[in-house]
Amino acid sequence: MNRFASAFWVEMLKARRSKAPLLTAVAFTIVPVVGGLLMIILKDPEAARTMGLISQKSQLTVGTADWPAYFGVLQQSTAMGGTMLFAFVTAWVFGREFSDRTVKDILSLPTPRWAIIAAKFALTALWTLGLSLMAFLIGLAVGAAVDIPGWSPAVVSSGFETLMRIALLNYMLMPFVALFASAGRGYLPALGWAVFSFVAAQIVSLLGWGDWLPWSVPVLLSGMFGPAGAEQVGAHSTIMVSLAFLAGAGATLAWWQCVDHAR
Amino acid sequence: MGTAIETKGLSKVFGQVRAVDGVSLNVEPGEIYGFLGLNGAGKTTTIRALLGMIRPSAGSVRVLEQPVGPNGRGPWGRVGHLVEAPAAYPELTVRENLEIARRLQGLSDKRATSRAIEQLGLTPYADRKAGVLSMGNFQRLGLARALLHEPELLILDEPANGLDPAGVVEIRDLLRSLAREKGITVFMSSHILTEVDRLATRIGIIHQGHLVEELDSQEVEALRSRRLEIRARDLGAARDALTQAGYAPKADGGKILLDERRAIDSPDQVAALLVEAGTPPTRLAVEQQSLEDHFMHLTRREG
Repeated sequence: MNRFASAFWVEMLKARRSKAPLLTAVAFTIVPVVGGLLMIILKDPEAARTMGLISQKSQLTVGTADWPAYFGVLQQSTAMGGTMLFAFVTAWVFGREFSDRTVKDILSLPTPRWAIIAAKFALTALWTLGLSLMAFLIGLAVGAAVDIPGWSPAVVSSGFETLMRIALLNYMLMPFVALFASAGRGYLPALGWAVFSFVAAQIVSLLGWGDWLPWSVPVLLSGMFGPAGAEQVGAHSTIMVSLAFLAGAGATLAWWQCVDHAR
Repeated sequence: MGTAIETKGLSKVFGQVRAVDGVSLNVEPGEIYGFLGLNGAGKTTTIRALLGMIRPSAGSVRVLEQPVGPNGRGPWGRVGHLVEAPAAYPELTVRENLEIARRLQGLSDKRATSRAIEQLGLTPYADRKAGVLSMGNFQRLGLARALLHEPELLILDEPANGLDPAGVVEIRDLLRSLAREKGITVFMSSHILTEVDRLATRIGIIHQGHLVEELDSQEVEALRSRRLEIRARDLGAARDALTQAGYAPKADGGKILLDERRAIDSPDQVAALLVEAGTPPTRLAVEQQSLEDHFMHLTRREG
């Protein structure tokens, strides 16, 4: 029996039996729904005021209601909210072995530790990219229901590509969350790291150096800091994110392989 | 078959704390080795070193003739273990938890899960979530996981923890039959001295990180041996009378000890003898030294 396949089957079973996938799916559904509401408001602000969707004093009338703008909202929400939600998923996958005290049962087995860690990363990838894909598909349905103008296959294709690229970059930053969940033996250090890296990413992006900081790259790419910010992202940014991925994954594996598991 | 467990000068230091200090152990195949120690004596650290979970600061560990760790290296397909309190994924059923263990053990035989459930008496709870199990059944689940792949060596940390008296007897019988009938080696730590006393064929006592004593099967048996304790007003006269009658009395403080079978089986005859000799006993009792007495004496002496 393939060791990795066994470990992946185990991780899938643990996830399937948990409420966490459902909770994260519900949380991520908010992204296209809120985007759809925003489009309704932008399409006809006066009607939205009448319906009570926005206050009479609201200034939320800047922007256009079209598919590129809608995808922009989805991408920014994935970049910002995804950072925290993906971190929650990663913290859960890695940290639960400590909160359930099952870590001691997975260290001395014929299935090597690297296979278990690789399976956890694979599940995290499947889960987070699956959430992003789900948000995109729901976004298409919501967009169609709201009847946003400006649809074209090229716009959808470009919107999908950018969204999934942001999701992939966000996922590639998760090994550090896994490392904190492992070395910190639980969820809290991992979530603490996620908040810290999120805040640091905003500050460094504001300072104009975000294209060099891996944690800023998805936010910049999403257009959160304007078209100029998105244009900053280049090959060097992808390399930085890739290095962060390799460093985080390597450190996590090394931690599981080499440290004393005395607790 | 070679040694089941062999440690040479095993030491583990955590910062300023020397948790285990120069422990050299040899556990032979088929033995039930009881590993006794107070809380913090170094039992669990030793067990974690045996399982490659921690890297020794000094010394070596071999399990089933293979070097252990680092990087999780070891003969883990032939070893079953239960370290400290049992754990399980709470939202998964007993069967699913064991199915996870089966997959990670690389067992292709799907019946192994049902066999372990039956062996540990978990059939009524097989489809119950682990999170709602009683502590005793949770412990059984941990033991089932350790036994699932029919290992050659069982390394168990406090296997009787949380079990009710009937469960303790059941697990004791199970471990004994595994050792006798299947030749499985059992290395078990416990603070329940009576359990170790009843089950172990060899005992190691660890105190403050040092292996202070090892008792082989004969010494363990000797510990369990009974003796006749006699007290009298004139101990000298009583000893003389017993010697003249062919007994071999031993003085022990304010009492005389007889460990001959005829004295233990017929204390009434010893009493009659002493009465006839004009030195009647003030106390006459068949006593059995317990492992507990020995353990407490040893750990107090070592400080």
